[in-house]
Amino acid sequence: MLWYKAWLETRSRFLASLCGATLIVWFFAHHAESLTLPGPRANIYTRNVVFYSHQYLMFVWILCAILLGMGGLIRERAIGASSFTLALPVSRTRLVVVRIAVGLLEAIALGVVPWVAICLIMDSYGKPVLLSQAAFYLGLLISGGLIYFALAVMTASLVENEYTAPAVAYGITILMIVLCGNIAWLRPYADLWRFMGGDNHLNKGTFFLSGPFPWSGAIAALAVTTVLLATSVWLIQHTEF
Amino acid sequence: MATAPAIETRHLTKKYRNALAVCDLHLLVPRGCVTAFLGCNGAGKSTTIKMALGMVRPTAGEASVLGTRVSDIRASCRTRQRIAYVAENKPLYGYMTPEQLMRFASSFYADWRPEVAAKLLGEYALPPDRKVKSLSKGMRTKLALLLALARRPDLLILDEPSEGLDPVGIEHLLQTIAVCSAEGVTVFFSSHQIAEVERVADRICILDKGRLLLNASLDDLRESYRCIDVTFPSVPFEREFQISGVEKIRTSGRQMRVLASRNAEAVVERAQQFHAVSIDVAPVSLRDIFLQTVQEG
Repeated sequence: MLWYKAWLETRSRFLASLCGATLIVWFFAHHAESLTLPGPRANIYTRNVVFYSHQYLMFVWILCAILLGMGGLIRERAIGASSFTLALPVSRTRLVVVRIAVGLLEAIALGVVPWVAICLIMDSYGKPVLLSQAAFYLGLLISGGLIYFALAVMTASLVENEYTAPAVAYGITILMIVLCGNIAWLRPYADLWRFMGGDNHLNKGTFFLSGPFPWSGAIAALAVTTVLLATSVWLIQHTEF
Repeated sequence: MATAPAIETRHLTKKYRNALAVCDLHLLVPRGCVTAFLGCNGAGKSTTIKMALGMVRPTAGEASVLGTRVSDIRASCRTRQRIAYVAENKPLYGYMTPEQLMRFASSFYADWRPEVAAKLLGEYALPPDRKVKSLSKGMRTKLALLLALARRPDLLILDEPSEGLDPVGIEHLLQTIAVCSAEGVTVFFSSHQIAEVERVADRICILDKGRLLLNASLDDLRESYRCIDVTFPSVPFEREFQISGVEKIRTSGRQMRVLASRNAEAVVERAQQFHAVSIDVAPVSLRDIFLQTVQEG
């Protein structure tokens, strides 16, 4: 039933995010031909629907993933509900792990559903999207983006105020994007934005992602996510309620 | 373990930066009775309860609940199956309805009694499908009580349970506490409402500034505490009455009022030695005992 609680706690945020993200990709798919976006006219569907909708989806996904990482025991402490949760015959580790797991599943769904929508919409328009391209983009989005979710979970494990916690998480995210994108020695290793956007694999002529999937980068990003989430669990285990 | 006290603390201390919330607390709550935990605001009652439930880590000392040391996290987690707790703050989960909360809570406890939950839901007139965040403070308190009382725990811990309740709700709560006690449930509750405490408690613990000042049965307190009003022919000397058991002496002209926690007979005898004109010995209310104990402490 902890899954049920975590779902009830986050479902409105998740469903709103899902609707927002799906609407964005629908917009790009529906107006693919009329959108005037930078780049060659060739392969307009690949460019406008696959590449650009992914760039916008990525932005919205990060915003929403941070929101999904908010809440949990520290927030409950602020409103006084943590006493009820902590009196349950369940360890703190389980409480936090279930909450994180639900958030992770929602964040993944938030990437999968819009991509499924893109594929279905384009298929119905008779311009099918290559599944390999969709999977490539989705893999980049989720493997890299979960770091932002983990960062949000960790922020929510430290900051209890309803508005301060997301503000801090968004602030750190913006700082990360700006610093990692502009400091030359950081860029090759830590520029998540470029990694998630597939910039390193984009063929600017065809707007297709080419080359093998960057498994080492994805695994490194997932390892950082795991460390951040484990730190969040440790923080909650050692917090006074 | 079945005979272990419901709650036992040894040298239990909690310090928040420079503030001492609980200081070297030796508390023993026996099983099978209703123990009231009295104290002013900030006395350390809630901190003590939270330490007993493992929510707050003690700075020093240790606590055991139902024979399980709180520092043993795994065992303590299992022991919480046998404890029902109503916290001081009762906002619960605003995004759930009472029905969803009941379903959620019932899944964790083998002792959940659905028929009692349904009965209490009706008695408390709680709307089952309204979000908790839209309920009034009193309704949320009733819901928190329902979640605890729908079970049949070994230990029921209530932190200021009557806060926000109307007189009908308070009456219902007191009756329920009495019923729980009759069914063998150990009840430990903190309160500021001394009149309520007097009605249901078997034992009284008074905490002040984190220190336990008194832990005795209510009957013993009623038996031993006396207020002695004495009138003398001339102005009396207070120091002559500062004998063992005398807690407080107040003199006004030829009148003297002595509060004795024991040894009232010795005070009367001393008054007679000083040719008292009148001596009136009366029992003392719990309110006076509390005020006296806290002021002295």
